[in-house]
Amino acid sequence: MSGPQDMALNGLDIVINWSRKNSLWPLFFGLSCCFVEEAAAFTSRYDIARFGSEVFRGSPRQADVLIVSGTLFKKVAPVALRLYEQMSSPKWVISMGSCSNSGGMYDVYSVVQGTDQIIPVDVYIPGCPPRPEAVFDGLLRLQEMIAAGERPARPVLGLAGGSQGGREGVLTDGVDKCRDPRGPGYAGIPVRGTPATEPWFRESRADLMWTPPAPVHEISTPELGQARSLAALFGQDAALEPASTDMPTYRVPKKRIIDVLRHLKTQSAPRYARLEDLTAVDETARRQRPENDYTLVYTLRSLEDASLLRLKVPLAGGSPQAPSVTTVWPSASWYEREVRDMFGIAFEGLANPRSLLLPPGWEGHPLRKGYQGRATAMPPFTSREARRMEPVDAGELFAGRDHAGEYLLNFGPHHYATHGVFRYVLALQGETITDMEMDIGYHHRGVEKIGERQTWHQFIPYTDRVDYLVGLANNFTYLTALEELAGVQVPERAQYIRVMLAELFRLSNHLVWFGTFVQDLGMMSPVFYAFREREQILDIVEFITGGRMHPSWFRIGGVAMDLPSGWKDMVLEFVRVFPDRLKQYHAAVTGNPIVRARTRGVGRLKLSDAVDWGVSGPNLRACGLEWDLRRTAPYGAYPDFDFDIPTDTGGDCYARYLVRMEEMRQSLRIIEQAAARMPEGRYVAGDSRYGLPENKAALKDIESLIHHFVNVTRGPRLPEGEVYRATESPRGEQGYYLVSDGGCAAYRMRLRTPGFANLQAVPLMSVGGRLADFVAVLGSIDYVLPDIDR
Amino acid sequence: MSEFTPLIPAFSPWEPSGLSLSVFGALVLGLMGAMLFLAGWLGVKMPGGEKRRAYECGVIPTGTGSFRYPVPFFLTAVFFLIFDVETVYIVSWALAWDTAGLPGLIRMGGFILILGFGLAYAWRKGGLEPERGFGPDRSPTPGSGEDAR
Repeated sequence: MSGPQDMALNGLDIVINWSRKNSLWPLFFGLSCCFVEEAAAFTSRYDIARFGSEVFRGSPRQADVLIVSGTLFKKVAPVALRLYEQMSSPKWVISMGSCSNSGGMYDVYSVVQGTDQIIPVDVYIPGCPPRPEAVFDGLLRLQEMIAAGERPARPVLGLAGGSQGGREGVLTDGVDKCRDPRGPGYAGIPVRGTPATEPWFRESRADLMWTPPAPVHEISTPELGQARSLAALFGQDAALEPASTDMPTYRVPKKRIIDVLRHLKTQSAPRYARLEDLTAVDETARRQRPENDYTLVYTLRSLEDASLLRLKVPLAGGSPQAPSVTTVWPSASWYEREVRDMFGIAFEGLANPRSLLLPPGWEGHPLRKGYQGRATAMPPFTSREARRMEPVDAGELFAGRDHAGEYLLNFGPHHYATHGVFRYVLALQGETITDMEMDIGYHHRGVEKIGERQTWHQFIPYTDRVDYLVGLANNFTYLTALEELAGVQVPERAQYIRVMLAELFRLSNHLVWFGTFVQDLGMMSPVFYAFREREQILDIVEFITGGRMHPSWFRIGGVAMDLPSGWKDMVLEFVRVFPDRLKQYHAAVTGNPIVRARTRGVGRLKLSDAVDWGVSGPNLRACGLEWDLRRTAPYGAYPDFDFDIPTDTGGDCYARYLVRMEEMRQSLRIIEQAAARMPEGRYVAGDSRYGLPENKAALKDIESLIHHFVNVTRGPRLPEGEVYRATESPRGEQGYYLVSDGGCAAYRMRLRTPGFANLQAVPLMSVGGRLADFVAVLGSIDYVLPDIDR
Repeated sequence: MSEFTPLIPAFSPWEPSGLSLSVFGALVLGLMGAMLFLAGWLGVKMPGGEKRRAYECGVIPTGTGSFRYPVPFFLTAVFFLIFDVETVYIVSWALAWDTAGLPGLIRMGGFILILGFGLAYAWRKGGLEPERGFGPDRSPTPGSGEDAR
C-alpha cells in the first residue's frame, strides 16, 4: 500500500474492524445438543459478554453472526438459508458441532453433510458437542479473522475493491470439500456398515457362534385369563404367540384389529388404557422369511397392573394397507403417519394426508429394507436443493378448515419459545388461539435407520443424543431392553452407579427445564442460577465418566469403568448444597404472583385425555395419576430406594411446575442413598458374552482379550427375538423396541419417546387460550426435539 | 439585587424568541439529516430477495400481515388511550401543584375520581379482558387438534 489515500483507508479499516469485532451480535440457529452448550456459554459461569459478544438475537435483522449449532437437516435447511439471507450485512457464519460441520456420526438420509454446502461458513467449531469454552474460541477466532483479514473501508465508502463480511459462496462436494465423515483420503474404502456389514458381513463368523436363546416371558395368571377371554371372543383372530421375551404377544389379522383394540381398551380385565407405541417392521430381509412382508406392532400398557401387551398385524404386498385405529386412540394419528412415511403403509381412515417427518415430496420410505439411507451415498444436498424444499405453507396445513378472517401465524421452526426447531401454526382471532397445527420433522435424524447398521454395542453413543438433555438416562433405557433380550445379569454396584447417574441427569434436565420455563414467563435471572447447579452436576458427571453431556458410559452388563476415588466427596457436597438452592428457587419463583397468574389454570389437561393421548412423566403425574415406572414397573436398582412420587391434581402449567420441583428433591434423596449405600463388587458383568470385559482383565488373560476384540470389532451377536422395555426418563416414558434376527446389529430398532406422545396433546392445552399462555404451555411440557423426531 | 440579565438575550431560555427557535430547529434538522445520510450512505443495501420478506420464524408467511383487527382490539386500544392520557394531566398538575393550590387539588381529585369510576366500570364489564364478549366460548375439547375433527 502506498499513497496518502491508502494510508487513510488502511487506518479506517483498522477502526471499522475494531468496532465490528468487539460488538458481535450472534443469531442462534440452535438445532441439537450443541445449542445447549452454546446456551451454557451465555450463563454466568462462562459469560459470553466478556468475549465481545452480547445477548443472543432471535431475529436475523438484528444480528451479524449466525451460529449454526448441531445437526442440520434437509427439512430445516431452507430455514437456515432464509435466515442467513435475511441478516443484515456484513455477516459471518460459525458452524458449531461435528454434525453441523460434516453430518458427524449421522451419515443418514435426513442429515445435511455440512452447513457449508448451504451457506458460506467462516469458522468451524468441532466437537460433539463442543464445550462452552469452544464457543468462545470460535468467537475469538472470528474476531481475529475480522481484524486481520477484512478491508471494509472501501466498500463502506462506496469505492471499488475491499472486502467485508467473511467468505462468500458455498463449498462443493468433490471440488473444495469432502463429505466423507472420516475426512478426505478414504475414497475406495467402504464406509463402515454398507458393503461391509449389510445385510450380512461377508464371511462373518458370527453365524458360527452359539448364543443361548432369549429368555421366555412366563405368562402370569391374569395374563392367562386374558388370553382365554380373547380366545373366547375372537378365536383364532387373537392367537397368542408361543414364546416371547417380554410380554404376551398376539397375532391379529388387520380386519379385526380395531375390534380387538377396542375390547382391550374398554372391556378386558385388566384394561389396557394406553397405546404405548405403534410401529412396523419390514420383514422382507429376514433370514427366515415369514409369509407376511410387513408387521404392524401395537404395544399396549395397562395402568391397573402396569402390564404390557403386544399385538402384531401381518400385512402383505408391496404397498400394504391397514385400518387406522385413530377412532380407538386419537394419539394413533402421529404414529400412523410416521409408519406411512417410513414404511409406505397406507392407513384407511387416517384423516391427515400430510407426511409427518419427511419433507414434502420425499421419495422412498427410509425404514424399508431396500432403502439404503446413507447421506454419503446420496447426491449432495446443496443450497439449490434447499431453495426447492420449502416448508409447507401454513394455509395448506389447515386444509379443509375455514379460517377466513383469522391470522395464521407461524410459531417456529426458528423461535426462542419452541425449545428447538418445531413449527406450530396458529390460527389467531386477536390474541386468542382458535386452531392450531403442528409440523415436525425439522429435527429428524434417522436414528432408527442407523440402529440397523451399527452393532448393538456401537449404538450406545447414538442413544445419548436422542434426548440430549438427559445423557446417560438414554443409555439406561436402551441397555435395560437389550439386557432383557440377552438375559444379562448386571452386578449390583453397576446398578447403583446407573441409578445415581440417571438421577443426576434427571436433576440436570429439570434444572434446564426450570430455567427455560421461567425465562419463557419473562424472568431473566433463574436460568443463570439453574445453570450454576447444572454445571456442578456436569462436573460430577465429567469427573466420573469423562464426558459432559453425552458420556455414553454405560455398557452392556454394567458401566465402562469403576467410580474414581474422590467421587463421593463431590456427590455429597452437591447433596449438601442443593436443598438450600431449591429453597431459594421456591422463594424467588414459586411464590411470585406473576408466575402464578401466568401458570395457574393455564393449559389445563384432563387426566382422561392425558391417558388417551399417551402423555407420560411429570406431565401425567400433574394430572393426578401416581404413575412412575420406577415404582410401578421397577427396573435396575430402583426397588432398593426410598423415594416419593410427587403428584398434583391441577393438570395445569402450575401443577406441572410443582411436580417437577418436588421431583428434584426426590431425586436428590435417591442420589444421597445411592452414595451412602454404594455396594462393592464388579462394575461390569463377569460374563462377557455380550458385553466388554473389565479392562484390567482384558490386559491380563487371553479369554477376556478375545471377548474384548470380538465384541468391539464385529460386535456381540444377540439371540433372535424381540423386546420392548421402557424406563422413566426425566421427560416421561422412553422405551426401546429391539428386534433381533440373531445378528450383530438390530434388525429393527424402534424408539418410543415421551415427547412424541406428549406433544400430540398440545392442542388440547392451548386451543382457546391466548398466545402468551401458549408460550407458558410449551415451557411447562418440557420436551426436546430429537426426542420427538428421532 | 439586580435584575436577571442573560448574556445573549436572543438565546435566553426565559424569553423565547423567533431567532433561537429557528437556530435550534436548524441544528436539530442538520443533525438528523447528517445521521440519516450517513446511515444510508455507509450501510450496505441488499434490495430484493429474502431481505424484503417479513421474518416469520424462517418460514414464508401466509397471507397478508394487514388483516382485519377484531373489535376487542380497538376497545383495548381506546381504554389504553383514555387511561394513558390521564397521566398527562396528572403529571402537569404534579409539577405545578403549589401554584394550583387547593382549588387545583380539588379539581384534580374530582378528575381522578371520575376516571377511577370509569376504570372500575370498564373492569366490571370485562372490558379489560380481550376475550370477553368475543365469539363463542372456545374452550379446548378432546380431539380439537390433529385429525380428530
